[in-house]
Amino acid sequence: MTKAARTVAVLVIVLSVASGSAVTPKARMQEEFTLTGEWIVTSSPINGELFSPHGNTLGFPERDMVFEQDGDLRTGVVLREDAGPDVRPLGVWRVNGDRFSTTFQLWCPDSSGPCGSIVMRGEFVRDDRIRGTMTAFFDVADDRSPTGYDTWTFSFKGDRVAPGSTSTRRDAK
Amino acid sequence: MTPSDRIHQIGSAPQMVSMLKRLTLVLISLAVLVGSALPVFAAAKFTGRWSLTVTIPESPGNSNMRTFTVIVDASPREGLHGRTTITNDEGQTVGGAWRQVGKKVSVTYELPCTGDTSCATLILIGKIKGGGLKIKNGNIIVMWDTPNEHNPALYDTSNGSFKADRLE
Repeated sequence: MTKAARTVAVLVIVLSVASGSAVTPKARMQEEFTLTGEWIVTSSPINGELFSPHGNTLGFPERDMVFEQDGDLRTGVVLREDAGPDVRPLGVWRVNGDRFSTTFQLWCPDSSGPCGSIVMRGEFVRDDRIRGTMTAFFDVADDRSPTGYDTWTFSFKGDRVAPGSTSTRRDAK
Repeated sequence: MTPSDRIHQIGSAPQMVSMLKRLTLVLISLAVLVGSALPVFAAAKFTGRWSLTVTIPESPGNSNMRTFTVIVDASPREGLHGRTTITNDEGQTVGGAWRQVGKKVSVTYELPCTGDTSCATLILIGKIKGGGLKIKNGNIIVMWDTPNEHNPALYDTSNGSFKADRLE
């Protein structure tokens, strides 16, 4: 091989490696994430805050969440089989790049107690792993809160249940 | 006492007053029974089609408000919660979830992200009034997508308002 040929070969290799390393992250950034599927989500307190300012809490149980998409309709359901087969808090979701938002209604069988709504904000660590924060807005007035409602935030992480793996999933519709 | 006497006695003034009282009681009872059977007199359900006029800030920290109308179709509840579809003026339809205790209704949904509007989650809270036909002075919690470590929600929040009229 001549010196010129070797130089061209080296250049081709260098350019290939360079272009490969440049394209890969870009491709990853352009990867379309979706929540569609089943997730096991665990939560934990932030700064040890176990309760809202007004003493409301959801505890920190593991949650089995199922998300579906039908066109622009993106729905979610929490399978609360620990509380009963028909206990299924409903919600919706959206994804922007590697970030997502979902919102759910709290399940409050005791109408005399406070109820509320949940907003989950987070990011995809991988296509099968998420993390972020959950904010509970309780139906309790709180003058110190910017929204006027008792507000409590905690963190979560979630792992996608591999399709076909054993899970507690039932028909989510 | 002959039958004619009995007829006369029934038709006497004290008897007439007693019958009128009974008749009144029966009518009131009937009215209560019929009233409780009609949705407009019972705790009105959110199920159905509504036109909502929503007013929220244009963006986080912005004092300029924007007002838009959406059509909400609320399906019957599955247990304590129900699903909704929310369609805006541009024909975009997204899903939502609702719950109700007595007259108090909460609807939550993700605001569609478009080029000129900030992404946000909306939580609408209001009371059904007007015989199940209206929601007046409803409150909205807006949770924007912009992080804010000084806000207890850890994201920017705002307040908005809404009113609703039942279409169907």
